[in-house]
Amino acid sequence: MHAKITQMLFSVIDELNQLRPPDEYLTKDLETPITGDSGRLDSAGLINLIALTEQKAAAELGRPLLLTDDRTLSQVNQVFRTLGTLADYIHLRLNEKK
Amino acid sequence: MMDKQPFRCALVSDFNLQNFAGYVTNDPEFPAIQPIRAPFGQPAATLIDRDLPCWQNTPDAAVIWTQPQAVVPAFKALLNYEQVALQKVLQQVDEYCALLVNMSARVKFAVVPSWVLPSYRSVFGVIDMQTEIGLTNTLMRMNLRLAENLEKAANIYVLNTQRWIAQAGVQAFSPKLWYLGKIPFGNEVFKAAVRDIKAALRGMLGYARKLIIVDLDDTLWGGIVGDAGWENLVLGGHHHIGEAYVDFQQALKSMQNRGILLAIVSKNEERIALEAIKKHPEMILKLEDFAGWRINWQDKVQNIIDLMTELNLGPQAAVFIDDSPIERARVKESLPEVLVPDWPEDPLFYPATLLSLQCFEMPSLSREDLTRTTMYLSENKRRELKKTVSSLEEWLARLCIRVQVEELHPANLPRATQLLNKTNQMNLSTRRMSEAELMVWAEQDPHRLWTMRVSDKFGDAGLTGIISLEIQDRSAQIVDFILSCRVLGRKIEETMLATAIHHALLLGIETVYAQYTPTAKNKPCLDFFKSLAPRFQQQGDCFVRDRKLPFPVPEHIEIDPAL
Repeated sequence: MHAKITQMLFSVIDELNQLRPPDEYLTKDLETPITGDSGRLDSAGLINLIALTEQKAAAELGRPLLLTDDRTLSQVNQVFRTLGTLADYIHLRLNEKK
Repeated sequence: MMDKQPFRCALVSDFNLQNFAGYVTNDPEFPAIQPIRAPFGQPAATLIDRDLPCWQNTPDAAVIWTQPQAVVPAFKALLNYEQVALQKVLQQVDEYCALLVNMSARVKFAVVPSWVLPSYRSVFGVIDMQTEIGLTNTLMRMNLRLAENLEKAANIYVLNTQRWIAQAGVQAFSPKLWYLGKIPFGNEVFKAAVRDIKAALRGMLGYARKLIIVDLDDTLWGGIVGDAGWENLVLGGHHHIGEAYVDFQQALKSMQNRGILLAIVSKNEERIALEAIKKHPEMILKLEDFAGWRINWQDKVQNIIDLMTELNLGPQAAVFIDDSPIERARVKESLPEVLVPDWPEDPLFYPATLLSLQCFEMPSLSREDLTRTTMYLSENKRRELKKTVSSLEEWLARLCIRVQVEELHPANLPRATQLLNKTNQMNLSTRRMSEAELMVWAEQDPHRLWTMRVSDKFGDAGLTGIISLEIQDRSAQIVDFILSCRVLGRKIEETMLATAIHHALLLGIETVYAQYTPTAKNKPCLDFFKSLAPRFQQQGDCFVRDRKLPFPVPEHIEIDPAL
């Protein structure tokens, strides 16, 4: 499941990069920082990341995913620190739902 | 071939257009766009205030994309199912349109996407189409009013947002993006919008394709005519593939009805192929629908070059459609300016593939566009006549050429602007302007502009020439000297100059000069002015009329009104 989540997030990155200048492309790497001091996304970018991730989780993983609930937003800096932390969090949430 | 300078485009909206801006900036298709963002969420105020930074340095274009409730307050009340008279709604649409028209003087082109309602809004669907009650009914009337009002503005184009919504499907509206970022649409809508807006801009800039060159076997019909015979081609009948070929031909015919020329380049025996076109009962396209053809066993690239020369068109005007990937690759490699679309293997997708090409956008449709094929067929007759006479003079005399001279007015403005923006070869200054800019320029006191409509005994070539003057203290500069390549070499050039000189003399001005601005394509114009010596003397890139020598209208040309 973790590999599928990673692939799904990489396809989200492909989508996000279409909105960004080439010199600001995000790399498809779990270490890629998202928010925080070295984060690569501004608030608009984060909004797109959330919306696209939810959309692709439904389409590619066949599972509904909610990333705008209080639980997620109360730990936004941890969850969205890197692509890897986001992948871990999605894995956790989807397993809970099982 | 195309301008590398990014197209500066103001983005005005009541919602967040950041995603649209991202896509439009990164899209590799011509023209490159540099978005200029207007203040967020204040479309009406932005349209009114000409001093805002977004309007400085004259942006090339503006996209004004709004939600209906943001600019038509009465519609906002309707969304709450309050009682509002339709008349009041339409009056507010008129007021909004007045703002748009006022703004349009600040840009070359303005694009206004039509209004839409979220597709999830299906409550009270049964009465949704009822007059004065249904929201969809009212919104359709608002869009119609918007389009009708803005038709009067020469440089505003309303685009159909509903197409983008349909392309985006279930992801068209995103409550998530709306509540998090004030972005009402999913990104697929913005991607579709970028494709359409760029296609529209290409058309406005004069880059619309004018010619479709098609192959025959397995492209215009199913089967190899040389092997099977025309009686056994797959075309029409009660056969799904045969029906698709008929529909493909019908789609080509519909393009021709909108002024796109059709031509054939095919490896075949010409006699056999033409017999099929003439005799097959289900052929939609007739021989007279084609402006030209090259049906032989020669290399298709050379055939295309020959055909384009015959039709007086450059490779950037052509689209080449062929079922063979090998032929497509060869043409694509040898003639990179010819558009060679990827073509489906399955003929059932031929009509849809043709109709989805976004390279034929025309900002206006002139009489010349609608009769283009007839004009080319007339040209063939002129060429035939030329073969039978002994001199150029005799040929010109037998053509019975008539030139009708008119000043610029609203009825000929769209075609004149089209000619100004599309003509490359016989073009003195190659300046490009929108309809509004051209009209403003022509109406300014020191400027005079005449259009030339050319006809002869074989037909009407339409409005094909423009000459303009800027009157200075004791001289007059020829600013525009533009002639469509379809009438070059018939002494229309001299007729245009005679017209301008005649009017300058009426103003007491004897010194008339032309300043040639070189481009990659307008050497024919330089050669023409050089050929005028000694009546025009060359001084560098400037050609000055010798005032002692007369410059009459050529003998074989009848000019109306007479000079």
